[in-house]
Amino acid sequence: MFSYNFKYELKLLLRSRWIQLLSIILLLLFGFSTFNGLQKVEKRKKDIRAAYVEVQENDEKMLKLLDSVERGMEVSVPRWTIPTSPMAVGNYHPRVAAMEPQSMAFIATGQADLFTHYVKPKVSGNDFAMNFAEMTSPVQLLFGSFDLAFVIIYLLPLLIIAFSYDILSAERESGSLRLLAAQPIKIHTWVLQKLGLRFFWLTLLVVCSLTLVFLVTGLNPLGQLGVFFGLLLLTLGYMLFWFSLAFLVNLGVGNSARNAVMLLGLWVAFVLLAPSLLNQMGNTLYPMPSRTLMINEMRNLKAEVTERQDEILDNFLRDHPEYAINDTTQFRGFYHRYMASQRLIKEELSPIVDAYEAQLKERQDWVDQFKWISPAVIVQESLNQMAGTSTQDYENFRKQVVRFAVGWREHFMPFLYNNKNFTQEDYPQLPKFQYETKAYASFATVPILFLISVGLFTIGFLFSGKTKKGELLTSS
Amino acid sequence: MIITNNLSKNYGGQTALDSLNLSVKTGEIYCLLGANGAGKTTTINLLLGFIEPSSGSAFINQLNVHENPKATKRFLAYIPENLMLYPSLSALENLDYFSGIAGKKISASDLEVFLNEAGLQPEAFNKRISTFSKGMRQKVGIAIALAKEAKVLLLDEPTSGLDPKASNEFGLLLQKLRNKGVATLMATHDLFRAKEVATHIGIMKDGNLKQQLVASDITLQELEKAYLQTMEYKALAL
Repeated sequence: MFSYNFKYELKLLLRSRWIQLLSIILLLLFGFSTFNGLQKVEKRKKDIRAAYVEVQENDEKMLKLLDSVERGMEVSVPRWTIPTSPMAVGNYHPRVAAMEPQSMAFIATGQADLFTHYVKPKVSGNDFAMNFAEMTSPVQLLFGSFDLAFVIIYLLPLLIIAFSYDILSAERESGSLRLLAAQPIKIHTWVLQKLGLRFFWLTLLVVCSLTLVFLVTGLNPLGQLGVFFGLLLLTLGYMLFWFSLAFLVNLGVGNSARNAVMLLGLWVAFVLLAPSLLNQMGNTLYPMPSRTLMINEMRNLKAEVTERQDEILDNFLRDHPEYAINDTTQFRGFYHRYMASQRLIKEELSPIVDAYEAQLKERQDWVDQFKWISPAVIVQESLNQMAGTSTQDYENFRKQVVRFAVGWREHFMPFLYNNKNFTQEDYPQLPKFQYETKAYASFATVPILFLISVGLFTIGFLFSGKTKKGELLTSS
Repeated sequence: MIITNNLSKNYGGQTALDSLNLSVKTGEIYCLLGANGAGKTTTINLLLGFIEPSSGSAFINQLNVHENPKATKRFLAYIPENLMLYPSLSALENLDYFSGIAGKKISASDLEVFLNEAGLQPEAFNKRISTFSKGMRQKVGIAIALAKEAKVLLLDEPTSGLDPKASNEFGLLLQKLRNKGVATLMATHDLFRAKEVATHIGIMKDGNLKQQLVASDITLQELEKAYLQTMEYKALAL
């Protein structure tokens, strides 16, 4: 039966123009979403490049100023910005801490809409209050990004539904099912073969369209075979899940209209409702402590600490006798007090920050635990991880930036407390930020998706074993 | 070839078929006559295994239909009132598909022989079914039965809606199959065609087989009279 189904299913699909239509739709969707994704990545790269250029230009000015000052020349800039002061360098000539987009960043916007991709930590800045949030259009956030992930997660299931909702019901409604049922075949096996063949053709179209789109847009799938293969497997696993639902609905529900409504209902439930519910429940069970409150707390603490800056500085120097010993001038100005109190603020704020992060982690753990209720959620997460735009990636970036900010500050402390000028010779030693990517992508999602699908197919078989053929032939 | 033993079917207390005992041997054409709701289609559905009997049993080629649903279907061909084939496939392709999924691998030239034997014009072989009349579709149905080498043919009102010429051609095809030893059970309202093609005629009413007649023993008028009497219609109709 399979060879005949294979031969004639293709003929039927070609003659009903399904294959042609799907090819065009997939090419357009994949093409546009890839183009869109690449545009976003390009903008991100451009912004980062511009930030580096700005730093380079500032550095050139700084070196010229240093040269002039070191030669004893007058300079016409405000006193507090003269780069011989380490604090002036630390504050007015920060480095760029950038998160360069990964090679597959275009497949999923992920958190990229919400977070900035570079910051310039200053020596007197607050690490905790560093702003990673990107200014984003609320309309853009409402509708999401038209990227490959959107096409795969939201639109591909709709194509599968249109392609498979009436496999059995159309035969029943046209009357050909009675003739089929009079042949020595099992109807559920026949439906499975038809669905299997449609899955095969759709898979072929998806693989061809994606490869073509990648090649046209200048991406070499062979150059990143692992990621490309991972992307394909994930997409196929997700497609198989929707085909398994179509199998169940075809066997269980009835006429074409009801099948379509049922499958669209499942689409709404899995793709729209489940992620939203999960998010809402996460918010309710583990509400995020307010960032504004945290900043207020920080300001109160600062005000309180400002009043006892002299005492704090004395304590600090007692803890760091090396600064007191090496400095012959014993000059103590605003920044000496300020930087010492910053350390205290950091120590005192750490319980609040820890609580904030613990709550964030608990919420993330809770979401991780229940994300399996919807394959759309796990596929979105996996695609974000592949693209390097997942929550974990941005958290990794944030942690590296905070570490770098501490390093940047620490680099200037000996200059400050030893009352040592910053010179041209010190310039090459300035710390540089290098973002280290971590691979969060896990292919565990793929076998799980396949297992869920196989489970649903098995349920379909068990169910069809109990369904009387008469019901299949007559129910509506 | 076709045997039913006290075959009954109830739908929630409503009797659709009541203890039907029937036998159609090789080379016989048995026509079941009866008004709508008499139980003719229920009988065919039971023989096809589409529905489960409430009691009794049905046999095709000595195999119990409900115990061996797949095996019995190897021996039978079925033509419903409206034979719906795949409209975007040609006659040859439909024949190839249905005989193929029934487990018969047949060469293209042999498929043409079957279509020819079924009376389809050669120029129609490669035309899409969507352009076919009902009579032409019925011929493809007969070709499927020939290709399957069916021993049993089940027909559910196959001539309704056919013009007299097409109906006559269909009758001739049944005779051809009869000569090949096929046992045919045909549910019909068409008394004239039943008298023309049948070897045996059964008249059903309210799920019961009321009368069984040998077609050669009676005239069309006698058949009509017997039918109307069974249906308890007024003799005025005569």
